[in-house]
Amino acid sequence: MKKIKSVYIHIPFCNSICSYCDFCKVMYNHDWVLPYLERLAQEIDNVYMGEAIETLYIGGGTPSSLSIFELKALFEVIAKFKMSDKIEFTFEANLNDIEEEKFRLLYGLGVNRLSIGIESFDSEKLDFMKRESNFKEAKKKIALLRKIGFKNINVDLMYAIPGETIGVLRKDLKKMLKLKPEHISTYSLIIEKNTLVGLNKIKPIEQEHDLKMYETIRKILKKKKYVHYEVSNFAKKGFLSKHNLTYWNNEEYYGFGVGASGFVEAIRYENTKSLTEYLKGNFISSKSLMSKVDNMENELILGFRKLEGINLEHFFDKFEENMQNIFPIKPLIKRGDLIYKDGYVYINPKKLYIMNEILIKLI
Amino acid sequence: MNNKNIRNFSIIAHIDHGKSTLADRILEYTGAVDKREMKDQLLDSMDLERERGITIKLNAVKLNTTYEKEEYTLNLIDTPGHVDFSYEVSRSLAACEGAILVVDAAQGIEAQTIANLYLALEQNLTIIPVINKIDLPNANVPKVISELKSVFGFKEQEIILCSAKTGEGIPELVEAIIKRIPAPEDSKDTKTRALIFDSKYDAYRGVIALVKVASGTLHLKDHIKLMQSNADFEIVELGVSTPKEVKKEVLEVGEVGFVCASIKDISKVLVGDTITLFDDPATEAIKGYKPMRPMVYSGLFPVEPNRFEELKEALNKLKLNDAALSFEVESSEALGFGFRTGFLGLLHMDVIMTRIKREFGIDIIATHPSVVYEVKLTSGEIMKIDSPNKMPDKGSMEWIKEPFIYTNIIVPSEYIGPVMELCQNKRGIYKSMEYIDEARVNIHYNIPLSEIVYDFFDKLKSYTKGYASFDYEISGYQESDLVKMNILLNGKVVDALSIIVHKDFAYDRGRKMVNKLKELIPRQMFETPIQASVGSKVIARETIRAMRKNVLAKCYGGDISRKRKLLERQKEGKKKMKMIGSVEVPSDVFLAVLKEGDE
Repeated sequence: MKKIKSVYIHIPFCNSICSYCDFCKVMYNHDWVLPYLERLAQEIDNVYMGEAIETLYIGGGTPSSLSIFELKALFEVIAKFKMSDKIEFTFEANLNDIEEEKFRLLYGLGVNRLSIGIESFDSEKLDFMKRESNFKEAKKKIALLRKIGFKNINVDLMYAIPGETIGVLRKDLKKMLKLKPEHISTYSLIIEKNTLVGLNKIKPIEQEHDLKMYETIRKILKKKKYVHYEVSNFAKKGFLSKHNLTYWNNEEYYGFGVGASGFVEAIRYENTKSLTEYLKGNFISSKSLMSKVDNMENELILGFRKLEGINLEHFFDKFEENMQNIFPIKPLIKRGDLIYKDGYVYINPKKLYIMNEILIKLI
Repeated sequence: MNNKNIRNFSIIAHIDHGKSTLADRILEYTGAVDKREMKDQLLDSMDLERERGITIKLNAVKLNTTYEKEEYTLNLIDTPGHVDFSYEVSRSLAACEGAILVVDAAQGIEAQTIANLYLALEQNLTIIPVINKIDLPNANVPKVISELKSVFGFKEQEIILCSAKTGEGIPELVEAIIKRIPAPEDSKDTKTRALIFDSKYDAYRGVIALVKVASGTLHLKDHIKLMQSNADFEIVELGVSTPKEVKKEVLEVGEVGFVCASIKDISKVLVGDTITLFDDPATEAIKGYKPMRPMVYSGLFPVEPNRFEELKEALNKLKLNDAALSFEVESSEALGFGFRTGFLGLLHMDVIMTRIKREFGIDIIATHPSVVYEVKLTSGEIMKIDSPNKMPDKGSMEWIKEPFIYTNIIVPSEYIGPVMELCQNKRGIYKSMEYIDEARVNIHYNIPLSEIVYDFFDKLKSYTKGYASFDYEISGYQESDLVKMNILLNGKVVDALSIIVHKDFAYDRGRKMVNKLKELIPRQMFETPIQASVGSKVIARETIRAMRKNVLAKCYGGDISRKRKLLERQKEGKKKMKMIGSVEVPSDVFLAVLKEGDE
């Protein structure tokens, strides 16, 4: 098995709660941060085997909600990792939290990629999401980050918000592009049960409209020279998210913190989603050993999210099986659901938005 | 006992007018059953019968009583209380010399009162009119008396007032049975003839035939012959029901009882058939035998296709006890293997379906019930068609005929308008109307049976706020402008959904079915047309839109287990789908479309 080279760390604290978010989060509370970081250090000590880490991702929640003092404590914990020279070190941030001192600190501590949850500049969309943002502010903040030295910035865009028109989406995209991010993640709203929108029984928008928005995004970003490399992700050449590719390549990674999940030595585990449990030191809530079949299926479920798809040779090297012998690839190629080209099998880009229908036929 | 002291009688009534309760009270009065043993409505022995207040399988009970110091035997012969079984009613009545006509003191004469009375009069029975439930606070005895007088011509002094609940009037009724109903006729013919008026199946004894000896005698060990089915057997058991079974050596002329002869196949024991002696046969059978013919057919399919064998087993078991039930294997592309099943009517169908579900635990899908059509081909051949899928091409038919019924619809006069409107809408042909009293009428139409089978009952109920009572008899076949309508999914005919329908109604029915299907079939990978067609002409169309989105916007590390669960759920869902050509249809869609009619 290849050495583990990726680490995810979850910081569950937020200054406000978005209406659609079903990640593991709590309102920021100063009293809980240090005890949480202590437990985090303990969890890392339990599991980490000393590999050189090539991608480190600090996500949340809102990691940028921590104070400078708390961030320093966090980085003392992170110092436990042996870091590769060419590490991709991502830190998630909220626009409101961006200020010079804090981000100079992060930059100084080795963070070289920021992921900023802007989501939209449209006031109606923002009201729906229970978020805040402002284009002028954003421009200023991004300029500041550039000044500090950040060269790899992702912004998130949400769409398919009830009531959103193509016009609104285009305006959002236009403004996002003015920020000149290296990477853009675009998310169609998913209405999850245990969120405010789910509890309010909000209905998703029509599929046709959703698809039209997706196609609009693809078209505009392609024109602006962004590579569409995963269902929801676009990047300038050379700025694909290495960390996220670890997931989509079905490779092992460490996940630490409340609600985090990891994949270590063929075991996929999920940590408790309860902060109280986590603070008691009860980290893991479930574990399951992936069989070879599970792994091969996951390879497809995750790998087909990438537009380049799955390399047949790579599949063989990993599992010592021919993918087309295990899964009914050929009939799906014949139907036009999958495409084979230059050693890769991938989902027909026209059918990317209904890829679950195709996966069901495969696994 | 002397033949002169036997009275054979039935009780006839509209549903819920208290027939079974009255029977119970007579049993109790004559001491046949102890009050402590009384289970309500003793004669209705099946759970389903008790639940629905209807009688499906018959009983005959022998009661002994003394009147003016003479011993009398009263044979109470039960009758089924529904139009589906009117032939069986007529055979039961043929075993009697008299009938008690029960009318509810609050409801008055209803449709089945009339239908049943006419059946009894056809058998030349002596009728004793009884007004029941006189203890009810809303009883209107004078009004019901005047109805009985004006509609049927009874005399006031003939009418007995009683309450089966309190027992009031029961002694007078028993006295009337003895005094008014004649003893069975002493036949001059000495050859043995016994009328079979019902049969049932017992796992240990085989078929048990309920009979009335019309002439001669039946003895234990007699070698008997059944004149219609031409089968012969040896009698191994004879007896009467009191209602406990009492075995006997002989059944005399005029007596009613049961016969067992180790008969395994109920289809050999036809209701209405005559038993005679093999070595000394009667020359003529008792009149009135008619073969039982199913009036309504439907395809029954197990919801889970692998339960086909179990369904077959269930139908075989039900058939043991139900000579009117017929079925043969039918295969449908949409529903798999099942049975084309023939029923006497909708109630019969409903009872069988409920029993399959309840007694055998099999969920079934039934296709739209179809009546039996008569078709004359251009070749001159005449065919019976019991399924839309057996319908020949329009070009090869000279005509199609369909069964019509003659109605008794009794309603308060303010509903005459709505009822006539409904009947006209159902292609009815007005026949006549008569007043039962100043406030109620009996409306007669000829209406195609297929319309009754479709949704007439429900419509009648809503048009008349439940005040109508309805009964009918088959009046014969008439030519109609009928067409076969198909439903197509993505251009492919769904055999299970085809119907035969009047040309003028095809558009409306087609539209309703197409709309319903659109509502129920989920999006497919491609745009899928749903069409209703007659011949090559499309009369209604809808489109199921193509699936446009089924993807997780986000999928990071922890989402894989959730994503897998989602995919597994979707995959499970697909397994419950039936493939119709290239279209995936959830199997419960058929259930929903077929069940709801197409409201």
